[in-house]
Amino acid sequence: MPTLTMIGAINAALSEEMSRDERVVLFGEDVAKRGGVFLATEGLQQKFGPDRVLDSPLSEAAIIGAAVGMAAHGLRPVAEVQFADYVFPGIDQLFSQAAKLRYRSGGQFTAPMVVRMPTGGGVKGGHHHSQSPEAHFAHTGGLKVVVVSTPYDTKGLLKSAIRDDDPVIFMEPKRLYRAVKEDVPGDDYLIPIGKAAVRREGRDITLVSYGGSMVETLKAAEEMAVAGINPEVIDLRSVMPWDKEAVLNSVAKTGRLLMISEAPHTASIASEVAATVSEELFDQLYAPAIRVTGFDIPYPYAQDKLYMPTVTRILNTAKRVLDY
Amino acid sequence: MISEIKDKTEFQAFTPEPIRVLSDEGEWVAPFELDLDEATLKRFYAEMVAARMLDEKFIILIRTGKTSFIAPHAGHEAAHVAIANAVQKGHDWLFPYYRDGGLWLAMGTPPSEIFGQMLGNAADPAKGRQMPSHPGSKPLNIFTACSAIASHIPPAAGAAISMKLRNTGQVVVCSFGDGATSEGDWHAGVNFAAVQGAPAVFVCENNRYAISVELTHQTASHTVADKAHSYGIPGYRVDGMDVLASYYVLKDVVERARAVHGTALVELEVYRYGPHSSADDDSRYRPKAEVEAAKQRDPIIRLRKFLERQGWWNETAETELRAGIAHDLNTALEQAEAAGEAPAEWMFEDVLSSRPWHLEEQRRLVLEELR
Repeated sequence: MPTLTMIGAINAALSEEMSRDERVVLFGEDVAKRGGVFLATEGLQQKFGPDRVLDSPLSEAAIIGAAVGMAAHGLRPVAEVQFADYVFPGIDQLFSQAAKLRYRSGGQFTAPMVVRMPTGGGVKGGHHHSQSPEAHFAHTGGLKVVVVSTPYDTKGLLKSAIRDDDPVIFMEPKRLYRAVKEDVPGDDYLIPIGKAAVRREGRDITLVSYGGSMVETLKAAEEMAVAGINPEVIDLRSVMPWDKEAVLNSVAKTGRLLMISEAPHTASIASEVAATVSEELFDQLYAPAIRVTGFDIPYPYAQDKLYMPTVTRILNTAKRVLDY
Repeated sequence: MISEIKDKTEFQAFTPEPIRVLSDEGEWVAPFELDLDEATLKRFYAEMVAARMLDEKFIILIRTGKTSFIAPHAGHEAAHVAIANAVQKGHDWLFPYYRDGGLWLAMGTPPSEIFGQMLGNAADPAKGRQMPSHPGSKPLNIFTACSAIASHIPPAAGAAISMKLRNTGQVVVCSFGDGATSEGDWHAGVNFAAVQGAPAVFVCENNRYAISVELTHQTASHTVADKAHSYGIPGYRVDGMDVLASYYVLKDVVERARAVHGTALVELEVYRYGPHSSADDDSRYRPKAEVEAAKQRDPIIRLRKFLERQGWWNETAETELRAGIAHDLNTALEQAEAAGEAPAEWMFEDVLSSRPWHLEEQRRLVLEELR
């Protein structure tokens, strides 16, 4: 079984889907000749030719908007936005076109497309190479949003995204691109969008996270275990739609929820999950649902690591939930 | 210059004056021979009259409170009929905007569907999802219009790139107003299509006003066609109230786009007789005399004069034509009105390909309220 990084898993998923379905085309800035600035698309133009792997002009509006037109016309485009922080010039294309095409046409036209983007902090990228804008996308009806955390999931979820009939925003925490290698089967497997994964079973508290913050969440869970607490850890994997059933089942068992995400605090996915748990499980909670998140400030360069939920912050906050 | 054109397939880009075939008085002024037959010219005329009468019907809908919004298109009829006749209907793709009511009709959309959209009721193939005056039709490859100005330009480029990559022999014709050319997405889309050599024809229906903002406050370019220079594509400046000039140039450009995967910009100089929309009062920003002067170039009157010169049209034919169109539009409107309101159940359909739990919960809440 091949051992792959997240980057390797992305490349494998793209290659397999392009071989399976000739409608799949890739494009974006630097994706063709250079193979992407992170090399996610390395070798694919050589393998599939210049008509299926294209270098686009430096314009996120053109990249995302063209994907809408290609998809409506029958292709299965996978567009790359070089950093999630640079999606904003293309936001009108995502929100006004991609998200609303099926609805505004009464189902006559659809946009089955994937927009991949490296997301999140931890690489000393400052304001514009560190943000986690998933809540913006989730807040606009008509988009699906995936945030991956492992190479295995990345391959299965990217393949699902490419086969999905809706526009899917596929967010890849860049600090995890080459952080770990794991066994990624060479065969064709899919992971469904909208299904969470239980990363660790426990009874005392439910830790829910996704994307880059899964690293600190799992470390914090290990430290809790050493201290005699038995946490359950859920990786949402998809944030729109998110797996309410998995979260409620777990919190019904533990009675305690800690939401962890490096995205800004206010109006976040973490807020949404916490609010839903409060609405549905109010009488089964031993403590309020609490969020550990990034902050409502521009992402700082100097305090790169301090911005994201640290293991210490997760443990301190978990203590508040446990001691309530 | 038009005077230098020996053949209609040699229209020059970037002419200092708009390309014309008919004078304001309906005289043939082109240096090539007419090669359209009587039936075709009469059809162009009938389609323009129908487009005008559709606009008049829209005005009645707003005045009688049957609809909430219209984007009047009177003055744009020649552009609409020219585009519809320059493409292969149902094969090529159109990316229209909200002032393309006449184009919607001339493409062959059943008028009952148009009225369904104008009423936002059960007769609307788009299920009453958008405000009125937003054309679209899957069977006719009319990409459903979006209010956000110029947001359809990059998708039009994408569809044209798809046509090129798969060599489908199709062409995209994408229309928009003059204000759209100031949006970033306009430039992004035209540039991507051009650099890919995609078969896309971008058509500006330049009526000189973006709501109230006159063209000289919109751009320092001398013409919209001039903007094509920036993208390395030809830009054609055409009298858009001359249906024959608009048709000949568009036909030429569309077929060239099809043959050589070329991108082009065509500026059709038109004039909007009415306000921007039913929510606008155009007397606040332009003199009535200017509107009246523009009507002297009226595309319908101009073609009628030409047809009369040829001995192909008279008052009897005119009366019959208008009576027939009025009957068809009235019947279609009655049919659309009979369809009734868009059902509340439609509200949560077509958001995604299937309904996830959160939309199911939200839908149930609404249906419980209505029970």
